[in-house]
Amino acid sequence: MNSVYSVGQVNNYIKTMFQQDFLLNRISIKGEVSNCKYHTSGHIYFSLKDETGALSCVMFAGQRKGLAFSMKNGDRVVASGSVSVYERDGKYQLYAREITLEGAGLLYERYLALKKELEDMGMFAAEYKRPIPRYARTVGVVTAPTGAAVQDIRNVAGRRNPYVQLILYPALVQGEGAKESIVKGIETLDRYGVDVIIVGRGGGSIEDLWAFNEEEVARAIFNCRTPVISAVGHETDTTIADYAADLRAPTPSAAAELAVADIRLLFESLRGYREKLERTMENQLYMVRQNLKYYQTKLNYLSPENKIRESRTRLMDAEDRIQSAMKNQIFLARQNLNVYIERMKGLSPLSKLNQGFSYVEDKNQKAVTSISQVKKGDTLNIQVTDGTIKALAAEVSGRNWESERS
Amino acid sequence: MADTEKTTQEPTIEESLKELDSIVEKLESRDISLEDSFVLYQQGMELLRKCSGKIDTVEKKMLKISEDGELSEF
Repeated sequence: MNSVYSVGQVNNYIKTMFQQDFLLNRISIKGEVSNCKYHTSGHIYFSLKDETGALSCVMFAGQRKGLAFSMKNGDRVVASGSVSVYERDGKYQLYAREITLEGAGLLYERYLALKKELEDMGMFAAEYKRPIPRYARTVGVVTAPTGAAVQDIRNVAGRRNPYVQLILYPALVQGEGAKESIVKGIETLDRYGVDVIIVGRGGGSIEDLWAFNEEEVARAIFNCRTPVISAVGHETDTTIADYAADLRAPTPSAAAELAVADIRLLFESLRGYREKLERTMENQLYMVRQNLKYYQTKLNYLSPENKIRESRTRLMDAEDRIQSAMKNQIFLARQNLNVYIERMKGLSPLSKLNQGFSYVEDKNQKAVTSISQVKKGDTLNIQVTDGTIKALAAEVSGRNWESERS
Repeated sequence: MADTEKTTQEPTIEESLKELDSIVEKLESRDISLEDSFVLYQQGMELLRKCSGKIDTVEKKMLKISEDGELSEF
């Protein structure tokens, strides 16, 4: 005789069977979305169907993170989760944890959704970006210990400044556990204390780079107190991590260049400063010396010694001038005198005496020009060319020359 | 082990270079006294000396850090 069971017992039995089934607990099912309903509670109810039939599905509000786009009827999707029994209706259905658009572009949708979400939260805002120190002494690196990225960073850093200490956190950068490993690496280096951290990996497919599009990684970068340079893939790959980082480098090599200053340039600029300091100092001294020279000249010019010398010069000069003026005057006077002598010669009484005239003067040497000056018996001096004749006036008689002539 | 000592009081090389810039600028100005020039020149030279001293010139090997912060050669 078969046993009789209650509905609850059967439903419970079937549910247990489902739950013990390995495949049903972790299954991905593809199909077309129909009867899609977004419930106010946040749950999403929908069906997946194909040519052969349909399957009821639910995504609870708590799992909504697994849906990165707005799902609608007709979408071809892959829903992942577990198939289990809803005992109240005696119905089995898919409890979806993740729904992605089937085919290409589906990771990209998730990428865009997360990017927008984090951007809205302000995680990419410029005011949170920390400046990258110019002269880092220790540089942390979170990347795979194998592969080109770590070698590129080591080579570039070593070439630019071999005295910088690189510290690698060997991380898993793709596949299962990658995001946890990267987060751990960032946190470990941040705690240890380095000047800057490079987080990255070499190029790859969007799936390979996916860990750098995970929210956990973006958050770890955002929360890191040490400045972070991201360096994921090639120039064209921009991941969420790049947006969250303080500085985005297009490649791991470029990140090393940004993190490690070229020591030769630093030495050069120190040398430049030395030269500049010396040159400006020399200039200052030169200018002061010039000033000094100027005042020296000025003082020399104004010194009493110079004054005396100058006065003496002026004195000598004046003397010269006076003497030459004097000479000139004498010369002119002599010249005049000669002229007078010549003229006087013509007027000399002696020349008149030569012609038979004589000059008569009285005893007082006064020229006798009238009879009134002479009385009978007076002594007269008669001057002739070769001497004097003393004479006595015998007689004085008047005579009118004018009337005689007429 | 790497030298992880953080120089908190000492200015960084970057800060020193900035200060050098301002010293040179002051030195270049025309109306500075000779006495001040000497003081600035000395300050500048001292900064340069410190900067040079700060650049340690020991080549480093890449290190590896474990989850618990242990360092080893890579």
